Amino acid sequence: MTQTDTVSSEQEDLRLLRESARTLFERAGGSGRARKLRDAGGSFDPNMVRELAEAGVFGVAVPEEQGGLGMGLAAGGVIAEEAGRVIAPEPVVLTIGLSLGLLRRLCPEHPKMAQLIGGEVSLAVAWQERGPGGAPADATCRYADGRLTGNKAWVVGATGSQGFLVVAEQDGGPVLVLAEATADGVVIDKRAQADGSSLGELSFSGTPAAELASGDAVQAALAEAVADATALAAAELVGLSECAFEITLEYIKTREQFDKPIGSFQVIQHRAVDLNVMCEVAQAGVREVLALMDRETDQKVRAQLASRAKARAVTTAKRITRDAVQLHGAVGYTDDFDIGLYLNRALVLSAWLGDDAYHRRIWFDAREAEGAAQ
Amino acid sequence: MTDWNAMSDADFRKEVRQFFEAEYPEELRHLPHRPKFAEIEHWHRKLHAKGWVAPAWPAEYGGMGLNAAKLLIFYEEQQRWGVNRGRDMGVQMVGPLIIKFGTQEQKDYWLPRILSCEDIWCQGYSEPGAGSDLANLRTRAEIDGDDFVINGQKIWTTMAHDATHIFMLVRTDPDAPKKQQGISFLLAPMEQPGVDVRTITTLSGETEFCEVFFDNARTPSENLVGELNKGWTMAKALLSFERIFIGSPSLAQNALGQLESFARGRGAFDDPVFRDRFAQAALDVEDHAALYARFADQLKRGETLGADVSMLKIWVTECFQRITELMIEAAGPDGGTIGPLQVGNVSVDVLASFYKARPTTIYGGSNEIQRNILSKAVLGLPG
Repeated sequence: MTQTDTVSSEQEDLRLLRESARTLFERAGGSGRARKLRDAGGSFDPNMVRELAEAGVFGVAVPEEQGGLGMGLAAGGVIAEEAGRVIAPEPVVLTIGLSLGLLRRLCPEHPKMAQLIGGEVSLAVAWQERGPGGAPADATCRYADGRLTGNKAWVVGATGSQGFLVVAEQDGGPVLVLAEATADGVVIDKRAQADGSSLGELSFSGTPAAELASGDAVQAALAEAVADATALAAAELVGLSECAFEITLEYIKTREQFDKPIGSFQVIQHRAVDLNVMCEVAQAGVREVLALMDRETDQKVRAQLASRAKARAVTTAKRITRDAVQLHGAVGYTDDFDIGLYLNRALVLSAWLGDDAYHRRIWFDAREAEGAAQ
Repeated sequence: MTDWNAMSDADFRKEVRQFFEAEYPEELRHLPHRPKFAEIEHWHRKLHAKGWVAPAWPAEYGGMGLNAAKLLIFYEEQQRWGVNRGRDMGVQMVGPLIIKFGTQEQKDYWLPRILSCEDIWCQGYSEPGAGSDLANLRTRAEIDGDDFVINGQKIWTTMAHDATHIFMLVRTDPDAPKKQQGISFLLAPMEQPGVDVRTITTLSGETEFCEVFFDNARTPSENLVGELNKGWTMAKALLSFERIFIGSPSLAQNALGQLESFARGRGAFDDPVFRDRFAQAALDVEDHAALYARFADQLKRGETLGADVSMLKIWVTECFQRITELMIEAAGPDGGTIGPLQVGNVSVDVLASFYKARPTTIYGGSNEIQRNILSKAVLGLPG
């Protein structure tokens, strides 16, 4: 097999994966399903999680010898894009990028691996903490004698998950522990999000938890998993942007004013073209990043690539969803039209793991550091 | 005869790169202006001797016979090293048209003269009333015995004052039902009493554009290429490859490199606002390159490019402009100064870059025209 054949057969695999993910999400009810779940209280659907697992979704980026499909982050990106298209609230990026990203690097033998891949459980990852001013701060949550004490913030999927993977501090070094959601001393303060989901502010007081890994490896695995999740969140935003654009395009073709479809006015046409071009650039850029991250082993380079992807995706999603509301006119400002769901989801995904301004700063600093090192 | 297409992409790239790096004169790298032929004649002779003047032409006509993938590599290397394209209107525009639509006599006569630059060509398409609306052109050519007699005016004719011949779109049937019909493709000598060339001074003070006036100028009727009144379709048929080339990342990439060294020398990176805007521009260039690669892969697989390739040109030219605007910002009080600005051991002509970026959103189909094309042909919007 030549190199070109390998590349095109990989492309073919990704195409098939995309098709089956799209069918699965569409059959489940598309973006209408997201609205129903939001109205029902904002959690995700455990049945959908199991269906996704049956399709192999959560294990795509897990190596085959660890029970996954071994298709890499590029395949994870395909799933994330498709989840983004229907603004699915299921923890796709959380599980592929963060939960499994940590476990497969630190304790691939742990039974939770198979349960996560099988869609039997979801685990939220609690790794950030809030400082006194409200901004992110260093970890102070402590783990000693099998018990966890302290606070964690911005925990995605805190409601609906069966347990928490908590990055804490033990004897001056990092440790990864697993706490059950129902364990003693766990308090979850839900912070309602624009898209109907919630972020958890967790507080642990003497909560029993099991140690999974400790030492520098925890910090390294966390950095890798966060980079993976960041790039996958970018892919989710790309899918979201594409679909928001398609909905808007359809709308301007059918909505009539002055006896013509508004899409026949040049000012609207040129705006639509600009959004389309942004979308295509973002899709090409983010997919390239994911493919590069699969080949790259240097953690710093991978993190810089992830920042490139998230910066592009957030800028694109923000602009597209906001312009989409404008192009819908007054109905765009109502909850009746789906376009608003896309705007709200974009707000949440943009804020998670850093927005565009944040990632441009990280990207630039990494570039400078690399330049200085040479 | 070397079969370049049989080489691996990497080997071919290496071969092209080595030749440019070894043979291209240092003082001609990244020329900020369009050279007259005399300035680059020496380089053209080398290229001609090597047989590399016409990379896209079939080998039987003296070209390299490159397929789309190899051609892209050739141009990428050319731009990377800042190799001037030379006076390539003959090679890029007339030659392919003669090869595709010309008679055997036309091929035998004109093609070798294009390769040797014995004839130097300029392009007579635009007119004062026919810019974006090119089919509106009015320059007339009427049969008179064995000649066409030409009357009218062309404008934005690049380097007409340094050309021996002009290829032009002329109206041969003013009564055709649609204005795209009744247009023919004609070759004419510049050195004759009925042709008058006046240079146009641009914003940057250069004189590369000209107006060309035709007052009963003559050209033999055998200089009609293809069928009478079929010139419009022929000229359009040539544009497919041009459309990806005009959207290539190189102009913006080179400008970004200049911006970075200039801004660093000036200490502009101390300013967090500037850092962010630089990062935005740099990421705009990187992600554009990813999209460009997607279209290039399409060509490499032998597929024809659709109208959506126009988006490359829109993005990269506007990005190029923003980069040159950042250079002016970084120059601070020197932002209006003509000529190279020295920073450490680099010198950057900030205004030259700024001016160079301005017409990129106008030529080759203005960006507004490109948006019209995308809106109708790609998005399917009505009207």
